[in-house]
Amino acid sequence: MLHHAVGISAHYPLLLATWLLPLAGALLLWSTGPRIQAKGAVLGTTVLGAAFVTALLSIPDALRAADGYVGAQQPLVTWLPGMSLGLLLDPLSLLWTLVITGVGFLIHVYSIGYLAGDRAIARFFAYLNFFVFAMLTLVLSDNFLGLLVGWGLVGLASYFLIGFWFEKPSAVAASRKAFVINVAGDVGIMLAIFILFAQLGTLSYGGVFAHVAQLSPSTLLAVCLFLFVGCAAKSAQVPLHTWLPDAMEGPTPVSALIHAATMVTAGVYLIARCHPLWDASPDARAFVGVVGAITALVGAILGLGQWDIKRILAYSTMSQIGYMIMGVGVGAYQAGVLHFFAHAFFKAQLFLGAGIIIHALGDEQDIRRMGGLARKMPFALLAMLTGTLAICGIFPFSGFFSKDAILYGVLEHGHPYLYFIGVLTAAITAYYMFRMLFVVFAGQARTPASVGEHAGHAHHAPAWLMQLPVALLIVPTIGIGWLAIGGEQSPWARFFEPIFGASLQPLARLGMSEATSSLVVTSVVLLGIATAFFVYATPQALRNAPERLQREGQRMPGMLTHAFYFDDALDGLFVQPTRALGRFCAATVERDVLDGGVHDITVGARWLGHFFRSFQTGFVRAYALVLALGVAAFAAYYVLVGVTR
Amino acid sequence: MITALILGPILGGLLLFALPRTADAAARACGVVLALAALVVTLTGSTLPDESIAWLQRPFIANYHVGLGQGLGFWLVALLNLCTMCAIAVIKVPRVRDFTALMLLLEGSMAGVFLARDLLVFALFWDLMLLPVFLVLIGWCGHATAAWKYLIYNVLGGLTLLLATAAFGIAAGTTDVIGHGPIPVLTPTWAAWIFAGFAFAFLVKTPVWPFHGWMPETYVELPAPMVALVSGIQSKAGLYGFLVIAWVLFAEQMHAMVPVFGSLAVIGLVYGGCMALVQSDIKRVVAYSSLSHLGLILLAIMSGQPLALQGAIVYMLAHGLFNVALFLGLGFVEVREGTRVLSRLGGLGVSNPRLAGALIFAALAALGLPGLGGFSGELLILTGLYQAGDYWQTIVALLVIIVAAAYMLRLFQGTMQGPVSDDLPQRPDLSAVEVLALIPLAAMIVLLGVNPSVLSSGVEPSNAVIHALPLQKERA
Amino acid sequence: MAVGELSNYVTLSAVLFFLGVAGVILRRNPLVMLMGVELMLNASNLALVAFSRAWGSMVGHIFAFLVITVAAAEAAIGLAIIVVVFHRSARVDVDDVTILKG
Repeated sequence: MLHHAVGISAHYPLLLATWLLPLAGALLLWSTGPRIQAKGAVLGTTVLGAAFVTALLSIPDALRAADGYVGAQQPLVTWLPGMSLGLLLDPLSLLWTLVITGVGFLIHVYSIGYLAGDRAIARFFAYLNFFVFAMLTLVLSDNFLGLLVGWGLVGLASYFLIGFWFEKPSAVAASRKAFVINVAGDVGIMLAIFILFAQLGTLSYGGVFAHVAQLSPSTLLAVCLFLFVGCAAKSAQVPLHTWLPDAMEGPTPVSALIHAATMVTAGVYLIARCHPLWDASPDARAFVGVVGAITALVGAILGLGQWDIKRILAYSTMSQIGYMIMGVGVGAYQAGVLHFFAHAFFKAQLFLGAGIIIHALGDEQDIRRMGGLARKMPFALLAMLTGTLAICGIFPFSGFFSKDAILYGVLEHGHPYLYFIGVLTAAITAYYMFRMLFVVFAGQARTPASVGEHAGHAHHAPAWLMQLPVALLIVPTIGIGWLAIGGEQSPWARFFEPIFGASLQPLARLGMSEATSSLVVTSVVLLGIATAFFVYATPQALRNAPERLQREGQRMPGMLTHAFYFDDALDGLFVQPTRALGRFCAATVERDVLDGGVHDITVGARWLGHFFRSFQTGFVRAYALVLALGVAAFAAYYVLVGVTR
Repeated sequence: MITALILGPILGGLLLFALPRTADAAARACGVVLALAALVVTLTGSTLPDESIAWLQRPFIANYHVGLGQGLGFWLVALLNLCTMCAIAVIKVPRVRDFTALMLLLEGSMAGVFLARDLLVFALFWDLMLLPVFLVLIGWCGHATAAWKYLIYNVLGGLTLLLATAAFGIAAGTTDVIGHGPIPVLTPTWAAWIFAGFAFAFLVKTPVWPFHGWMPETYVELPAPMVALVSGIQSKAGLYGFLVIAWVLFAEQMHAMVPVFGSLAVIGLVYGGCMALVQSDIKRVVAYSSLSHLGLILLAIMSGQPLALQGAIVYMLAHGLFNVALFLGLGFVEVREGTRVLSRLGGLGVSNPRLAGALIFAALAALGLPGLGGFSGELLILTGLYQAGDYWQTIVALLVIIVAAAYMLRLFQGTMQGPVSDDLPQRPDLSAVEVLALIPLAAMIVLLGVNPSVLSSGVEPSNAVIHALPLQKERA
Repeated sequence: MAVGELSNYVTLSAVLFFLGVAGVILRRNPLVMLMGVELMLNASNLALVAFSRAWGSMVGHIFAFLVITVAAAEAAIGLAIIVVVFHRSARVDVDDVTILKG
């Protein structure tokens, strides 16, 4: 019998090292940062390299299986019965751990070059190391409590890194927005935790998943939906996605690591991890699948209207995570996770490639002021082109396999309308990605000044520091799709057999075979690419590119430039009412009612004082008269009433 | 030895006046050493026996009875001594000697409140707590309104407490009842009036909405080290009273009042959060956030659910720690920049990275970042509330957590981030002493966040006092 | 003592008392007012002693002595106040002394 998410309990020093090394690096860099600066970058990178090595060495632990227990489980501390913290390394968390430390290491190396000369570079690497620690906490936790801790900590790391250049008001605002929306997500997970703890009395994955049958369908749906609130906030699902484009205020390596490869896929991880819950709740599957599809489509459409190269990539990230969520949401867990794996590489590569361009152009991010970079920056072209082909899903790049797997999985699990949305999104994706590629690389340079490599930066970090990581990312971008070939017997399927083997099985085969589906998708993608070519890359279009791009910008519908008004809606629905309530409390309740009430009491006391004061005339004879009257009154009382005793 | 925890700081504080008027460093050092000594005695003293001296025989029996024990009082006194030590170390006001002496007086009288095992002793120390705060408000602050507001509100509360104590003594025959002994049976009418007296004092001292009128101005006007103690620890006196006196001696009346006090707690929770979001003064932001957090703790106490009560204790300690850290941090800002107005501050993080680090740490603990003390307390409280069936309170509290993230970041970013304000002076970063004063607070916050069970392991689950509570609450 | 005799004493006491009241209320000279007060006190003394004798109880006598003591003290303080007022304003009229006005 298979125990979901329960490993072989023992002490695993390597696992602990993987988890704690980045934390140690972060603390060291925080405490010594200002003194070691550039050396701190090397230190942070070395620490992460070590963490990657220990993660690799932990692979046998993660794959060990006995009596239905899979992977390595390391208990940590117990808060209360049922509330304890621990680590779990099984194939699913292993995959994430390797991506986090591996891709993270490459991005660390890249950052040494990208941020060379920044006076706070040690602080940057402290944040990066802290992020890796937080993300590892999230994926390695063996229970919902630790997951929540990691969930909150990655939000904090993201906040720090988005606001890394904190003198910039826009970066400050973006970081706050990201954090607050993510706290809203945390709150959703907390609610799910309350329900689970009240119903089952435990928060460990193993304990919860073994007793899913005890939960009523409505409770289960509530748990899934509240968990999904967390996923939606973290993974930028509609309508909680608005922080992601703004998060591009952070340095580009941050966008690559956190806002593309790892953190934003935490929602995918959570659903894959909690697949016993989703297996048992068809309503939750339908809901999450729909939200994922909508996010994929909305992200792709919004990608059409952007001019900032990083925001284009941000919306494409949102769109691709929509695919993943749609995949794992409807029950195609392996396909969703495969897309995460492929996306981690090709999206990191796209961001890092964009970073090379931005860096070379002196922090220029507007693609209208690029153009003609193909000759000047052939390496960037290579990186961006392979990444774009992968994201579009062109054979034989990794995106082809993973996207097809998701789309066909959606079809298999009985959601043809979601399949349709997915295919449509694939076409739009091809269009806007190639639009970016053509505008950036084709034609003549539209940059005012003559720009060479590193023109905008006085320092000279060696170029290989930034190019080598990108080159290393191209390999998996081409290679990993092959892992999934062979259906149930593919290496990918066998790797995840212990996790997803007993999960939801697809419905009966449909009329369309997987090959047909691939053909359909590939043809619409090619159609998208061709459209982009005819609009942006024909010789005629290239000749008068500046005017055409300017005209396009002016004609952009408000829906696109305002990103479907999601920001305004969230602002109007939540932010403004809360502030208005605060102002009402401050101006009316506090000042007028509470303080005013107390003030009225003092006014009353003062009035009473004035009233009694008026009796004190100072006329001695008046006092005497009152005295006499008092005596007379007493006398009259006894005369009239008489003494009763 | 237990008496030394009370009299040590008080007499030590008075003896400080023997120092020369200008001996700032010496006074500060004496204060730190005294507080440290008290901390050491507390931490090693959990097995000390109670101390009791017969005092009154008529009209009722009252003893000078103090005890440390292993319960909530122990943790609060430890927290008090730790925070006093850290706060005295960073005093930066005119007339340091006098200020330090008043800090020690406050420490001793608060220790008296938490250590008292006799209601009359409790009430007397409760009133003594007023004095140092009032004197600081009069002597160190710009205008006297805050001082009188503080005095009138709290004297009113202290008066009802004293009357209720006297009435309790006459009705029950003895006041030596805190945390031990049989629970006296009072006639319902007497019990209701006496309970009302106690409850009013607790509500004002905490403070609970709408009795918080004294709080914002007091917090704003007091110099940072004193306000740290007032908001961090003195505010726990009322909650301690609810837990240790009201729930134990007046369980029936408490049950009857749970809907009322629970509603006040929820209102305070939301009200404080919304108010904190729109304040322009940095200390006011924290003052109202405190109102919000205290509302949450009161809500937990009112629920009477065991898990929520454990959470309440964790959160009381965590709140003490992070509020002290927050106010000390804001005090550093105020002393450096000479202003507390959020819109004028900005960009301090560039030249003061350590100060920025300290402030963001405290702010994160306050907004309930997972892994820090505020989170574990909040989580336990809310889990308990949900289990007890208080669904809508749980949901409201969760929504306020989101608001808390917004106002705490607004506070931090408004002071430390954004463009550097050119019209403000550029002052040096935190000194080594200032950093050292914050480290123990931070360490305790992390410890409470990673493993709140430290409170209940070794010393029995938040302890004798809680376990004495009649917790089983009837629910349909 | 016969009832008729007692009523004579009481009548005299009442007359004296109202003479004293009239003196206090109508005159503006504090010395005369003081004398009015003394008159009232002595009227009550007379009544006390008369009743005391009529009912054969010593309480009235004792009380009368008490009143005499108080009257002496009152006269001393009153005269002292009058002297101070006279020093300050060189004339004594109670209507001029209004510094106790609230």
